[in-house]
Amino acid sequence: MISIKNLHKKFGNLHVLKDVSAHIAEQEVVVIIGPSGSGKSTLLRCINYLEQPTEGEIVVDGIPLTSEANINKVREEVGMVFQRFNLFPHMTVLQNIALAPVKVRGMQRAEAEQVALVLLEKVGLSDKANAYPEQLSGGQQQRVAIARALAMKPKVMLFDEPTSALDPEMIKEVLDVMKTLANEGMTMAVVTHEMGFAREVGDRVIFMDEGRIVEEGLPDDVFLNAKEERTKAFLSKIL
Amino acid sequence: MNFDFELIIQSFPLLLMGAGVTVQITVLSVGFGLLIGMFVGIARLATIWPVKMLAAVYVDFIRGTPLLVQIFLIYFALPLIVGQRIDPFIAAITACSVNSGAYVAEIFRGGIQSIDKGQMEAGRSLGMTWGQTMRYIILPQAFKRIIPPLGNEFIAMLKDSSLVSVIGFEELTRRGQLIIARTYGSFEIWITVAFIYLVMTFTISRFVDYLERRYKTDDKH
Repeated sequence: MISIKNLHKKFGNLHVLKDVSAHIAEQEVVVIIGPSGSGKSTLLRCINYLEQPTEGEIVVDGIPLTSEANINKVREEVGMVFQRFNLFPHMTVLQNIALAPVKVRGMQRAEAEQVALVLLEKVGLSDKANAYPEQLSGGQQQRVAIARALAMKPKVMLFDEPTSALDPEMIKEVLDVMKTLANEGMTMAVVTHEMGFAREVGDRVIFMDEGRIVEEGLPDDVFLNAKEERTKAFLSKIL
Repeated sequence: MNFDFELIIQSFPLLLMGAGVTVQITVLSVGFGLLIGMFVGIARLATIWPVKMLAAVYVDFIRGTPLLVQIFLIYFALPLIVGQRIDPFIAAITACSVNSGAYVAEIFRGGIQSIDKGQMEAGRSLGMTWGQTMRYIILPQAFKRIIPPLGNEFIAMLKDSSLVSVIGFEELTRRGQLIIARTYGSFEIWITVAFIYLVMTFTISRFVDYLERRYKTDDKH
C-alpha cells in the first residue's frame, strides 16, 4: 500500500531522515515509536507530502509522489490525524466533516452531511453535530478529526501522535476509536507513545532513532526481546 | 474677533455635500483597496518568486512614497502615457485605491500569517488544493481577525482623501477652500470642516468596535 525507498529529508543542515526505507502492507497497522527528534513525525508527514522529501521515492497505492496532481490524488486517499486536532474553528462539527467530500469529491452537500452523521455516530458523537470545536473536549475534538479524515473514505490513515495533546482520561476514548478502525481492516501508520496500544493493536512496530529505522518487528518481539541496544535503552525509559 | 455663526449655517449644506463625496471616495477606494489588498497580500505569501517580488515592489513603492505625490503622478503623469486627460474623480479613486491596496495587503498578510499553520496542513491533508484551503479555511478566519486594522485603514483613508482636493476634486476639504475663497471666513469654515471629519471618523470607529464585539475577534465562530 505504501512503499518508501531511500528517503532523505533535510531541514537546512539538519539531516532529519537518513536513508529510510519502509513498506506498509494493505490492512496493516504499523506503529512508529522513538524518542522525540528521531524523525518519526517527519516520516509520517512525508507520506502525504506535508514535508517534501529531499531525496528518495514514495509510492502510495500505486501512485508515485511526483507531480502536484499526484500529490493531491494521494492526499485524497490518505487521511491524517494531527496531534493538535486542527479542526476548523469557524465551522460546526458537521461542516468540518462534510467540507472536503463536497469540495474535493464533488459530493452533494446533503449526501456529505449524511455521511458525516454516520461517521459521528461511529465515533460516538452524534449529539455534537452542530457544536463548534471550541465547545468540545480534547478527546471529542480528536474523534471529530478522525471522522473528518474518514469522510474522504481514505485507504490509509496516518496518525501523528494523536493522543499526546490530550488529558489522560481522554486518551482511551480516542484509542478505542482507532482500535475499531484497525479491526475493520484500515491500513494505519501510527506515531505514538502509547505502548499499550502499540502492543495490542500494532501488527508491526518500527523503532526510529536519529533519523534511521533502528529496528522493526512484531510488537512482542520488539518490546520483550529487542535486539538493538538503543531500542532497549529507549524502552527501559518508557515502559 | 468676530465669529460668524450665520456663515456656518449658510455653508453647512454645501459642506455636507462635500462630506458625502468624501464618504463616496473613501468607500470606493477602500472597497477596491480590499480587493487589491487581498490578492496582493496572498501574493506576498506565494512561493512563486516573481509573483512574490512584484507584490513586494508594489507595497514598498506605495508605502514609501507620499499619497500626495501618488495623486499627482496619476493625475498629471498618467495622461501623458494614456494620451488623454483623466477625469479628477477617476484619478482620485485610482490613486486612493492603489494606495489603500498596499496597506490592506499588509493587513491581509498579517492576518493570514496569524492563522495556525496546522489549518493549512489539515486542509491540504484532506486533498483540498492550496486555493480551496485559502478560500474556505484560512481567509474566513483571517477576515475576523483583521476587522480592527481594516477599520483603522478606513478611517485613515477618510482623512487622507482630503489630499485629492489638490487636483480640484470637490470633496469636503476642497468645498471648504472654495467657500473661504468667496467669504474669507477661514476660521469658521475650517472648524466646521474639522468637526464634520471628526463626526465621521468617530462614527466609523464606534461601528468597528461594534463589529469587533459582535464577531469576537478571537478564533470563535
